[in-house]
Amino acid sequence: MHEMSLVQGLIDQLVSLAAEHDKNKILTVTVDIGPLSGVAIDSFQFAFDILSKENSLTNGASLTIINSPATYRCVQCGYEESASVRPDQCLKCKESLLIPEGGDAITLNQVELE
Amino acid sequence: MCDSCGCDLTHTHTHDHDHDHKHTHNSQVIEVHKNLLAANDALAAGNRAHFDAKGIVAINLISSPGSGKTTLLEKTIERLKGSIRIGVIEGDIETDRDAQRIRAKGVPVIQLTTGGACHLDAGQIHKGFHLLEHEPGGDQLDILFIENVGNLVCPATFDLGEHQRVVLVSVPEGPDKPSKYPKAFISSQVFVISKTDLLPYFDFPVAEAKADALHLNPRLQVMDLSSTTGEGFDAWIEYLTSLHSKNQQTAA
Ligand SMILES: Nc1nc2c(ncn2[C@@H]2O[C@H](COP(=O)(O)OP(=O)(O)O)[C@@H](O)[C@H]2O)c(=O)[nH]1
Ligand SMILES: [Mg+2]
Ligand SMILES: [Zn+2]
Ligand SMILES: [Zn+2]
Repeated sequence: MHEMSLVQGLIDQLVSLAAEHDKNKILTVTVDIGPLSGVAIDSFQFAFDILSKENSLTNGASLTIINSPATYRCVQCGYEESASVRPDQCLKCKESLLIPEGGDAITLNQVELE
Repeated sequence: MCDSCGCDLTHTHTHDHDHDHKHTHNSQVIEVHKNLLAANDALAAGNRAHFDAKGIVAINLISSPGSGKTTLLEKTIERLKGSIRIGVIEGDIETDRDAQRIRAKGVPVIQLTTGGACHLDAGQIHKGFHLLEHEPGGDQLDILFIENVGNLVCPATFDLGEHQRVVLVSVPEGPDKPSKYPKAFISSQVFVISKTDLLPYFDFPVAEAKADALHLNPRLQVMDLSSTTGEGFDAWIEYLTSLHSKNQQTAA
């Protein structure tokens, strides 16, 4: 459950953003969790539901999770495909060895506060 | 745009309609686009720069509990004694038993206990490495091994500042680990299949497990070995010595 520590990091960031902008309520939070980030989206949501209740700044905030794709590059012909689920083979040449790139970030994209 | 009144979210205004609710809102949308791991990654980059400055190759060992990480380290220390100076940071949820096993081999070691957390992070390694530097022999190392908390999932997300990440799966665990826990295999440079002396007793098609791992990450270097019999150990030692000599060349 490293999602707990990731969400704790998220909440710490929200707290400092709110202080920076002189706000006292977080309304919505949008996080992009890449398919290769090693983060379970359900666990992340669950951790957010629990930890966000622990302080009045984030209590009641709604979390939106998006899942931007990774890029898979064919070792044979170099063709690159964006996908959130690993393709079985290269669309161009049918090679099965594809090198994943990106898709491993967990990014706080947007916050709405008041 | 605010759904309830259609106002621009970034400006402040007061509703004053003919119905009885009155509220003031003053909400603002901020584009952040910051990696949640940014703090960890910055510390990891600092660790890596520190290891580089000291000419150390750092290796992060990741596996489920009991795959044979500590045993691999014990045997590796025996084999490299006198030629490569090894230091170890041990990560565990509780107890310093692994550190005691390593200390018995006569190399500097620091035990980090995470007190429940399922992974090490770069901040802990930063502190742990400074402690290690104060152990006898700890300020003169060639290879630093970091034995991560036994867990194939969470440690894969946290860069510690290592140069190489090695993921282990032992024969009794079965061959389906790469497809079940892809992140560890995608983010590693080396995949070690351990306890190969047990192959006669378990259904573990080595070729299939290798192919699955390479399918996920074509750049993986795959080795299979037994710490008990020493079978396959030469390739592992060769991997370490060549890492060490490459590192010395770049430092020179
Ligand atoms: N048969 C066999 N057992 C091993 C081997 N390597 C480790 N073990 C055993 O596996 C158990 C767990 O090993 P340990 O090194 O503590 O695993 P760790 O939790 O990954 O550090 C111990 O009982 C070891 O003796 C091996 O190569 N062959
Ligand atoms: Mg161990
Ligand atoms: Zn975890
Ligand atoms: Zn192709």
